[in-house]
Amino acid sequence: MGIPSLSDYRKVVGRNVIEELYILASHVGNRSIKMINSTAVGGGVAEMLHRVVPLLNELGVRVTWEGIKGGDDFFDITKAFHNALQGKDEVFQDHVFKTYLAYNDMNNRTMDFGEDLIVVHDPQPAALIHWHDKRKNKWVWRCHIDMSHPNPQVWQFLRPYIEQYDGAIFSSPLFSPQLAIPQYRFYPAIDPMADKNKELDQGYIDTVLEKFGIPRDKPIVTQISRYDPWKDPVGVIQAFKMARKHVNCRLLLVGDKAADDPEAEEILLKVKEAAGNDPDIHIVFLTNSIPTEINAFQRASDVILQKSLREGFALTVSEALWKYRPVIGSAVGGIPAQILNGYTGMLVHSVEGASLQIRRLLNQPELAKRLGEGGHRRVRDEFLITRVLERYLLLLLALDHPDESAVFLD
Amino acid sequence: MHTANHDMSGEQVFQFSTSASLERLTGHKASNLEALLKLIKECADSSIFYHTFSAFRKLREIHVPYANGFAMWISRDLNEEALAEKLAAIDLREYNTIATLRSRIVETIETYRTERSEAFQKKAHTPFYLLDVMRIAYLTDKFAYDLKSFRELLDTISIDSVYFHFIESRLYTQLESDDFSTWIEESLNLEALAAEIRRIDITVYTLDELREKISEIIDEYMAQAPS
Repeated sequence: MGIPSLSDYRKVVGRNVIEELYILASHVGNRSIKMINSTAVGGGVAEMLHRVVPLLNELGVRVTWEGIKGGDDFFDITKAFHNALQGKDEVFQDHVFKTYLAYNDMNNRTMDFGEDLIVVHDPQPAALIHWHDKRKNKWVWRCHIDMSHPNPQVWQFLRPYIEQYDGAIFSSPLFSPQLAIPQYRFYPAIDPMADKNKELDQGYIDTVLEKFGIPRDKPIVTQISRYDPWKDPVGVIQAFKMARKHVNCRLLLVGDKAADDPEAEEILLKVKEAAGNDPDIHIVFLTNSIPTEINAFQRASDVILQKSLREGFALTVSEALWKYRPVIGSAVGGIPAQILNGYTGMLVHSVEGASLQIRRLLNQPELAKRLGEGGHRRVRDEFLITRVLERYLLLLLALDHPDESAVFLD
Repeated sequence: MHTANHDMSGEQVFQFSTSASLERLTGHKASNLEALLKLIKECADSSIFYHTFSAFRKLREIHVPYANGFAMWISRDLNEEALAEKLAAIDLREYNTIATLRSRIVETIETYRTERSEAFQKKAHTPFYLLDVMRIAYLTDKFAYDLKSFRELLDTISIDSVYFHFIESRLYTQLESDDFSTWIEESLNLEALAAEIRRIDITVYTLDELREKISEIIDEYMAQAPS
């Protein structure tokens, strides 16, 4: 199947949602957006832009997309900035900031900025604004990371650039710093038509589980996450073992590791040690995960866990909720925005809490079903890509009416 | 709100509208009731709207009983259930201005302080984040000319449109009634039908269920009405 068009989403979100997007877009009129980020290949932002850009174009908004260019030194610096802005303690020498600015300057000279709205994603291109103080168009900074506790040195450097924008977008109030410009909330979103989320036939699901040697004789409890201490896979195993004293079930841990993560081998060893030779615990390590296989694991599971100790937004939760899976998630990061406790999933704060909820959901299928339905509904309302389209259209209209809080478009 | 176009027979046409919201972060938060009360007293009208009307729109769909952002936080993070109930029981249909709604919320919390002052000593682990919203309403291309076409279109409009006409639009019209029953009464002269629709208790239904309930009432009426 080729890339879905907007009309393909009718069957997923409803005809009237798409019709209303077109009507809203007609009020936006003949306008243009340029998206600028670090790369067109790899990562959640690129994945999202690959869908949002063509869909906005279908709505009549002319959207172009460019990646900022730079050498390895630039991307090493911006990776360090990324970690620092998310709280990592590090001291940077002056030349680092000069190099960062030099690359932003170089890109500024080679790009055009004639569009009505320029949306700059994340820190890598953030200083581009510096050379556009006499602009007539609008610039907005879209931050996809958790900036609630930024490294003071990096933030002190970057903040003056960010405050030159006409607005900033964050995924959650938990992730935003104090800024002297308007800030908007855009939740991250999943694409229901993507391989990771689309409907699968039961035959394919069965094939995937067979491929990885997962029997279907008992309920399956699953966590799908990188093997990383922050995802607490050892805690998941502990919770599972506690629950299994009371309810017969199987645990499936599926994950990969970040390529540049030296701790990964160590954590995988700890996970295998914690699992021991338990025939009910399946540890799947993927070097190249196939989205439809991840999809199949989620759909085959009776309960999904996201028992992280720390998280960003954790959109994997929405992926599971979309599939009507009951999800038990830690009350960290963006998880509580997706899981409203008792209505769209269960929030927990400990290994013991996770084990109690596993027991509860496996023994109360009606509750599990109700949570799955609530979760699906929550994602449909807030965390689908059609909502992102709507938000960009609303942003264009809002920038036209900066002092108004309610507008009726005739 | 609906346009009052007149067709050839002089009757008013109902043009469906819908609405959408762009959420804004204010940077303000509260960790206890005193701070929350201060925020509620001082914040923009659009913040009150977000945590009441917008919250209602989103939370009703997942059967959250406290379909009001203030009540949710007070219940979930402060564990003051009685106050959460009192706030959740505020019927948005009784308010056609944000000012009067704000006053009611403030009054409810201040009264609670006299009943249970110790609640104001509690500090929540997770603060209440005050948001703001820009709401944008717009016309759709769906027009109803009579009860039959209205009923048919009711099945096709989005739940944002149901929510807008049944709950939000009174903030624009300053009327004390929803658009549907107003049009049915004033344009179709069907007072009894309008009164029955007006009586629907919105707090017990999701918006899809509300749509079904309105449809059911109209279907019953049409089945009994003389042809």
